[in-house]
Amino acid sequence: MSQPSLAGYIVKRPWLKRWMTPLANWYANAAGYRKLGLRADDLIPEESETVLLALKRLPQKEAYDRVYRLRRAFQCSLAHQLLPKDQHTKPDEDVPYLSPIIKEIEAEARERADLESLSIKKN
Amino acid sequence: MISRSAIGGNAQLALRRQCCVKPANRRGLAAAVSGSTSFSYDTADVGGVKVASRDVTGPTTKLAVVAKAGTRYQSAPGLTTGLEQFAFKNTNKRSALRITRESELLGGQLTSYHTREALVIEAKFLREDLPYFTELLGEVITQTKYTAHEYHEEVEHVIKLNQKKLLGNVSELAINSAHGVAFHRGLGTPLYPSSSTPLSKYLNESSIAQFASSAYAKPNIAVVANGASQTELAKWVGEFFTEVPSSSASTLSSEATKYFGGEERIAHDGGNSLVIAFPGSSSFTAGSSYKPEIAVLAALLGGKSSIKWSPGFSLLSKAASTFPGASAATTHFAYSDAGLLSIQFSGSASAIRNASSEAVKALKSISDGSISKEDFTKAVASAKYNALEEGQNIEAGLVATGAGLVHGGKAFQIDQIGKSIEGVSADKLKSVPKALLEGKATISAVGDLYVLPYAEELGLKI
Repeated sequence: MSQPSLAGYIVKRPWLKRWMTPLANWYANAAGYRKLGLRADDLIPEESETVLLALKRLPQKEAYDRVYRLRRAFQCSLAHQLLPKDQHTKPDEDVPYLSPIIKEIEAEARERADLESLSIKKN
Repeated sequence: MISRSAIGGNAQLALRRQCCVKPANRRGLAAAVSGSTSFSYDTADVGGVKVASRDVTGPTTKLAVVAKAGTRYQSAPGLTTGLEQFAFKNTNKRSALRITRESELLGGQLTSYHTREALVIEAKFLREDLPYFTELLGEVITQTKYTAHEYHEEVEHVIKLNQKKLLGNVSELAINSAHGVAFHRGLGTPLYPSSSTPLSKYLNESSIAQFASSAYAKPNIAVVANGASQTELAKWVGEFFTEVPSSSASTLSSEATKYFGGEERIAHDGGNSLVIAFPGSSSFTAGSSYKPEIAVLAALLGGKSSIKWSPGFSLLSKAASTFPGASAATTHFAYSDAGLLSIQFSGSASAIRNASSEAVKALKSISDGSISKEDFTKAVASAKYNALEEGQNIEAGLVATGAGLVHGGKAFQIDQIGKSIEGVSADKLKSVPKALLEGKATISAVGDLYVLPYAEELGLKI
């Protein structure tokens, strides 16, 4: 399950992108997950078949890192603390690592559904 | 319904004549015969890719890419099996699902399999769909993605099942073991990795992709078709195989095969099998090292009956029939530069023990020259029939031709094989088992080792 996003629409229009980028940066920082050392893709709910499959397809290193970030964030949350500044997720580290895989799986499912409902016309 | 009185008698007659009475001399136009009835392959070189086709008349076509990437040439265990399983998976242009569904819609069938020397990717379809399937095969060998998730979710699973299947199959284990003992590396590599092979060390999606890049190169592949015209095939191959690299990343090579011989015994609970093997002749497509007398000897020894409800009249079937529960079969495995003449026994351990010593006696009697003229004639006829049938058989002919082409030999030409087998004389045949018995034999026993005989007990040298 990928999150709904306007990003594609905005990126296509340079003037809108120029206008939105500072706003988006402000929002991502304000959301607070970076202060717990998480990435945006760590916040995708796991409770769906698609995401579970995508997690299985993650490269081993990525999967380990993800679990590490999550545990660290839980720990911080329990202790009611934020990570020290140098351990915050930097904006350039906050890259989508899971959503491309989710999109791929969704595209597969869509293709399957399309092929299932295919009607053949012979001329 | 029109009442009888409404139509005059004449009209009724005319009507009846029209629908029911067909003139005796009416015939359809003669259908143009597409293709010939010849069983020989036309070969050509299209932009570096070897192409062979046999234009057999019929509505269906079988098209295969034969790559010189069988287990003999794999650079690590299991790579050939892995590459075989990756055929028709996701490519850069379309997904595996789409490939399957599209070929289903066209009524095609897609398979991939391997032998010790060749990896075959094959499609069967209706004649008019040749362009589509040529494009598909070209795409499979150049554009496959070799993704990690397909390897873990689909390929690895099938390989593990294959390993388990092999573990339960006693006769397959015995044949693999005999090849290993006879040829060590190269041809001796088992056809499927055995269940205790440390696969995870060698096999992953990137090693398979690397193997593919060296296996699917122009000098390594041949496109063989059955039921397609040569011009048509050459045209489409010229169009769709342009992306195949003209030289492989790292050459897949295997040193010239040497025969070693020896004995291997494997304990197994699921049945018994004993293989006695001797060095044989290379396949017909290899050229000069082809020895037709080995094929005749295999037919003379026989084992499998060619008629129903009878043990048959070949030497081995006579030997085995006195020990109920044992069956024998002689097979000649021919490869590009070597061969293995194997006699395989299966059944209960004690029956195998007795039948195998009888079989060795039979071999000795041939070398003494005590075979009747009748037996000899029968063997030549049977060998000739087997060879010709194999050539006529689309499946075997396809692989033999492709393998012959990529190994730099010639295509499988059916009429010449018949001639060479006919040329075998009785004297020449006698000399063969003599030389075999004097040289080193290969013995593989799988099953109840307490009963199954050692080579020493059979009187064979190892």
